[in-house]
This record gives sequence, structure tokens and C-alpha cells, in this order.
Amino acid sequence: MATETDPTFEGDAGLWRRKLAGQAFESLLVASTLVGVLALVALFVVIGNDAFGPSAAEPAWFLLYFGTLVAPISVYTLLVRRDEAASSINGLSFMTVFGSLIGSAVVFAVVDAVRPHDVAIYLVFGSLFPAIVFAYARNRESHYTGPALPLSVLVGLVTARALYAPVNSVIAIVADWIMFLVVVTVPVAAGLGLFVTWRWSRRYGVVTAVAVLAAALATAGGAITQGIDPAVWVVLVSGVVGPVAVVSLDTIQRRDSGRYGLLGPWILVGGIVAGASLERQLGIEGLDAWLTPTLLLNSWSSFRPEQAGIYPQLVGSILVVGTMAFLAFPVGVGAAIYLEEYAPSTGWRGRLATALDVNISNLAGVPSVVYGLLGLSLFQNFFGIAPWLPPALGLRPALVIAAAVTLGLLILPIVIVSSQEALRSVPDELRQGSYGLGASRWQTIRNVVLPEAVPGILTGMILALGRAIGETAPLVIIGVATTTYSAPEGVFGSAAALPLQIFASAANSIPAYRTGVVAAASVVLLVTMLVMNSTAILIRNRYENN
Amino acid sequence: MSEQTETTSSTAAQRPEVTTDTSGGQPHDKTVLESRDLDVYYGDTQALQDVSLKIPEKQVTAMIGPSGCGKSTFLRCLNRMNDLVDSARIEGEVFLNGQNIYADDVEPVALRRRIGMVFQHPNPFPKSIYDNIAYGLRVQNKEVTDEIIEESLRRAALWDEVKDQLDKSALDLSGGQQQRLCIARAIAVDPEVILMDEPASALDPIATSKIEDLIEELAEEYTVVIVTHNMQQAARISDKTAVFLTGGELVEFDDTNKIFENPDSQRVEDYITGKFG
Repeated sequence: MATETDPTFEGDAGLWRRKLAGQAFESLLVASTLVGVLALVALFVVIGNDAFGPSAAEPAWFLLYFGTLVAPISVYTLLVRRDEAASSINGLSFMTVFGSLIGSAVVFAVVDAVRPHDVAIYLVFGSLFPAIVFAYARNRESHYTGPALPLSVLVGLVTARALYAPVNSVIAIVADWIMFLVVVTVPVAAGLGLFVTWRWSRRYGVVTAVAVLAAALATAGGAITQGIDPAVWVVLVSGVVGPVAVVSLDTIQRRDSGRYGLLGPWILVGGIVAGASLERQLGIEGLDAWLTPTLLLNSWSSFRPEQAGIYPQLVGSILVVGTMAFLAFPVGVGAAIYLEEYAPSTGWRGRLATALDVNISNLAGVPSVVYGLLGLSLFQNFFGIAPWLPPALGLRPALVIAAAVTLGLLILPIVIVSSQEALRSVPDELRQGSYGLGASRWQTIRNVVLPEAVPGILTGMILALGRAIGETAPLVIIGVATTTYSAPEGVFGSAAALPLQIFASAANSIPAYRTGVVAAASVVLLVTMLVMNSTAILIRNRYENN
Repeated sequence: MSEQTETTSSTAAQRPEVTTDTSGGQPHDKTVLESRDLDVYYGDTQALQDVSLKIPEKQVTAMIGPSGCGKSTFLRCLNRMNDLVDSARIEGEVFLNGQNIYADDVEPVALRRRIGMVFQHPNPFPKSIYDNIAYGLRVQNKEVTDEIIEESLRRAALWDEVKDQLDKSALDLSGGQQQRLCIARAIAVDPEVILMDEPASALDPIATSKIEDLIEELAEEYTVVIVTHNMQQAARISDKTAVFLTGGELVEFDDTNKIFENPDSQRVEDYITGKFG
């Protein structure tokens, strides 16, 4: 039935129906995505409104900050985006400035809470012995250097514990800021000196180290004459000014184009400062914000919302999560290395390893409350604490170490699974190449597999940390105090955690707590998690594109 | 270099032309590696049947055969790389200079320091060129000097191309350069034997011919055992050839001339002339 007509490309009814169905399906998918996005936006808007109170600000306020902050930054960003060299320098600059700022703040807060003298004692002894080992083994080739270094750290820490009493009695009268000098300035000066030596020359390296020390001492001197406590300023100068100066100078000398990328963070900071000072001078009505420096720096108050501060909870969260990381990460990564590299795949040992694998993946899905129960029974049996009884009865609330172990157990499956994935992604040919050159299994893992897998392992660690910071239920169960008035004194002090304070504030009778303080504290938590997850994603993307 | 003899007849044999010159007429043929009654099983499947083979010193020995006939398995037995495969079971003996390498007191890691290996796909480490070559020296606790690095790169015919860029990442090199780097890496630790598992199969013809020239030079210093599925390549560069056929059976092993011009076994004749495989 051959027709001689030319074929046309008009569809028949069936074709149009199918096309419509396809478009309807696509629209449904877009709608589902939008639901998720809108929910997130609604969350940010509601919390942001409560935390920042933008409706209380005059229109002039928005105009002011538009002029000093938004406009300059936008112009700068447009300029930088076009220039690849400037773009990377910009990223480096932001990372250095804000990274060192956050790092120094965290270090100061933790060391201050725990007691600078204690930290100094343990740090000095803990690094003295490895330094001796390192200097001795430097020019001698020895197999014992490898294991000797961590052992010497251990010996150092044990010695510190043993000699604590006499040493402490000697240095207890020394001022705090000198301890901060030892704990922060000296390592930073040494680190920067080494960096400059590696990049330039030994002479410049020594100059750098001395300069950092001198700057810190000068700052301390200046602060003392002004009657201010020098400790914070010493940490700021050595922890922030030092690295930023070194990185900026290094970039200016080394790169010949795109150096204006260094200005990025300063435009941001400068814009905020300029806006704030103009705001005060011109008397413009600003935001009715609950997220203020007071909130971040004060201790808690249950009765006066404007005075309430979450500083103890911030320090508590950092301590708990830090201790947890220290305990759980080596165990988790070690288990992953064993399961991926050493465990046989055949025989009864192989079956055991497979069973372990499956069960660890299951553990990752166990509700966090159950881990709280596990932690409860562990610590109740070991330390005899009955945390559900009120502290007024003379029983202690949960310690930082208890919270750290409980959360550590919680994130252990996550760390193991993500580390296994990272190890699995190392191509087998690299291992074969290493074995072919006469390397042992340990050498292969250490020199070839682990360096390749490190970005993936790091990403898993950061995601696990982000999860742990936000966990509330297990901490409630093991009896962490929901309201704490001072930061924990150390790993064996009573724990505090930000999510718990948010939980408690939401039940406070005063309405300002339920809306303002809760929202502000939630924003702090959200920003922390956003920063950590973004860092993890950035690391992963950077190494995936390499 | 070598050209295939082609005729227009449809039943004519395409017989690879042998061009290795058995220079200097070396009748000594000292055996450096020998396998005796070697059987290899992966789980329940038998990959090699009763292979007995003597590999002579400082010559290129090629192993040819269709895919899946056990050539690579045999090669990996020579430096005990099959130990890394859990399901592999090896019965029989392999001797290196008269010493059984499967004896209980032999350390496989030490063995692999005397027998080097180059793989089918170039697998440089994601480190600098210098560190790649130094890797073998470092893991074997040998001294790393710039002279050794330069010497290895020269012997692998790569020095002129990379001498100014030793700090560059090895992954930035081309495929052929990466494979030559892997060869340099293997010879830096001064092995006695170099095993090569289809070293040029992933490379373009120009890179392939450079590798083949290199193999012929290497045979002056080292014993080279090469697996290849390319018969013409075997005919071009090897002194002795072993023919493996399906099922892991070593069918014939003799001088390359003999195998390609006048083999004893009919099956080998059929394989050479392309009737199957």
C-alpha cells in the first residue's frame, strides 16, 4: 500500500498524548523538588525572622548596608569571577582569614575553659619526647623511628600526668596569657617559620617565627599597660594576624597576577564595620536581633533573655565533639582499613568479615535514642551515676567523656562505612604496582592506598562530626544537664551541649526564650552544620576533579 | 620494522615474520626461572595444567596464546602475585636460580624485590616522576640518589623527555610515557627478572614500537618474560616463545624461529596461521 505522498512530521493524536503525559510527569517531579526547597526556605525564613528581627529595622538601615556591604562585595565578586588567578587567591584568602579566626576562637574557648596551665603542661611534655626522638633519628636511618614517635607522645603524656602536681605548684602563679603564649603562639610561630623555610629560605623562616613571637609579646605588653586581659589578644595576634600576614605576603611575592583577590575578606569585614559605625553615628534603627555577641559570649541565664548566652554550651559542644573525634576516628578508620585491606574474602574468616560488614552498615541506621540507652547502661555500670535523678540529690550529671563515648559509638558506623568507600575507590592497579615493586602490605597501605583515600575519609569524618554536633536524644538519655551555667572544666567535667539548651529553652515559661533565644541558638547550630557540610563537599569536589 | 607476509589467496597462511637476530649465537641458555608441574586453581576452576617451563637468562621469552588460556596466571606465579588472590591455589614448584620460591621459608615480599613486574595498563602512582621511581628504592630501604633516578630513566628511554620535569605529576604524562615510567620504576631496583603482562596492548602503535625497542635493549641486562596476545609482536622481539592454548595447557616451547616457521604441534600451527584464536 505504498502511497506517493511525502512524509510529514505532524504527529497524530497518540504522539501528542504521549508528549503531554511526558510533560505532566516532568512537572510533577519539579513540584516534588520545589516542596523540598520551599520547606527549607520556610525554615530559614521563620528562624531567621525570629533570630534577626528584620521587620524592626528602618528602610534606611537596609540602604546603608546595601551601600557599604552588598554593593562592594557584589562588584568585587563579579570582577573576581572572570579572573581565574584572582578567583583562587580569593578562595585562599577567605579560607585563611575565616579559618584562622574560627580556629583561634575555638582554641581560645576550649583552652580557657579547661585551664591554660593544664593544657600547657600536657602539651610541653607531650611534644618534648617526640622532639627528642625526632632529633635523634633525623640522621640515622632506623626502622624504629616510625613506632617510636607515637610511643614517645604517650610516654610524654604519662610523664605529664605523673609530674603534674609538682609542676603545677610551680607554674600556678604564672599569668594565663603566658600559658597561652606557650600553647598557641609558640606552635604557630614554629609552624609558620617552617612553612616559610620550605617555601623561601631558612633565614626568612627564622625571621617569621621571631616576628610572630615578638608581635604577640608586644600585644601582651600593650594590653597590660591598658589594663586589659592580654590572653585573648595574644591568641588573636598569633592565631589570626600571623597566618594571614604570612599567607598574604607569600601570595603577593609569588603570584604575579590576580593579587587583588586577597582583598575579598577585607571588603566583607570592612563593609560590616563601616556599616556598623555609620549606623551608630547616624542613629539608624537597626535589627531587633537575638543573635548578638552577647548571646555568643555570655553565660546562661534562665530568667533574663537579653543576658542569656550560650558560651558554655558552645564550649561544651566543642569539647564533647572534639573528644568524640579523638576517640572514634582512629577506631573507625582502623576498622575500615582492616575490613577492606586485610580481611580475607574466602574461608570462615571471610564469612566472618562479610557478616561484620553487613552488621556495621545496619548499625548506621539504628535510632540515636538507642545509643543513648547503650551509653546509659555503660556509664551507669562503670561510674554508678543515676542520671535521671536530679542533680540536687547529690548525683552528678553526665560527664563530657560519657557524652563523647556515646556519640562516638553513634557515629562509628558512619565513619567505618565512609572510610571503606574511600578505600574501595582506590584503584587496585595502584596496589598491584606497589606489590610488584617489592612492598609489603603495610607499606602499600601507608604509601599508596591511604594518601589516595584521605580526601574520602576526611569527608566522612566531617559529615560524622556535623551529625554529632546536632544530636540531642542520646545526650538527654545519658543525663547531660540541659541547662548549664558554666563551661565544662575538662574531659571529666559535666557536659554541656548546644542542642540540649535549645531543647530546654523551648520549654521555658518566658516567651522571649521560646521565640528569640531558641531561634538565635538554632541559627548558630545551622550555620555550624552548613559550614561543616560545605567544607566536606568542597574537599570532595576538589579531589574528585583532580 | 617487520611486515606481515600477505598473499592474496584466501587459504594462505599469515605467518608472522621472525626478525629477532639471535646475535652472538648464545648457546649457554642458563635457566634462571623454571616451573615444574605447575597447577593453578581459582576456586574449582583449573587455570593452568601441569606447566613445566625453563626460562633462559638474559633473553626475551614470550608467552602467546588466545585470551583466557592462563598466560597471565603463569606470569603472576613467577613472582607470587597470585598469593594476593584469595581463591587461588597453586600446586607444583617454581625455581629461581635453583631455589624453590614456594618453599615455606621464602618471603614473597623479598622475592618480588628480585623479580619486577610491568602491567598491562600503565599504573604510575599519583606522585611526582621522581617519587615514582624512588618508590621501589624507598620501600626496599635502598639509597635514593639522583644518579639512580637518571640512570633508570635513561635506560627506559624517557630521560630526555622528562629531565626538566621530575617534579611533575606522573599522571600528566601520556600513556606511552607512563608505561616507560613504569618500566623505569621496575628497573630502578635492579631486579634479575622483569615480567611484563601485555605491556603495549593499551598503547598506540608509535608508543608500542618504542616499548618494543626498549624491551630488546633491556634483554641485554635483564631476563625478560613477556605475555602478549599479539603474535607479530612476539615474532618481532622474542628469542624464545611458549604457546599456551585454552585450558591453561602449555603446548609448545622453543626458539621463536622454530615456533613460527616450523612448529611441532599441529594445534600451534593452526593458531599461528590464524585458523582460530
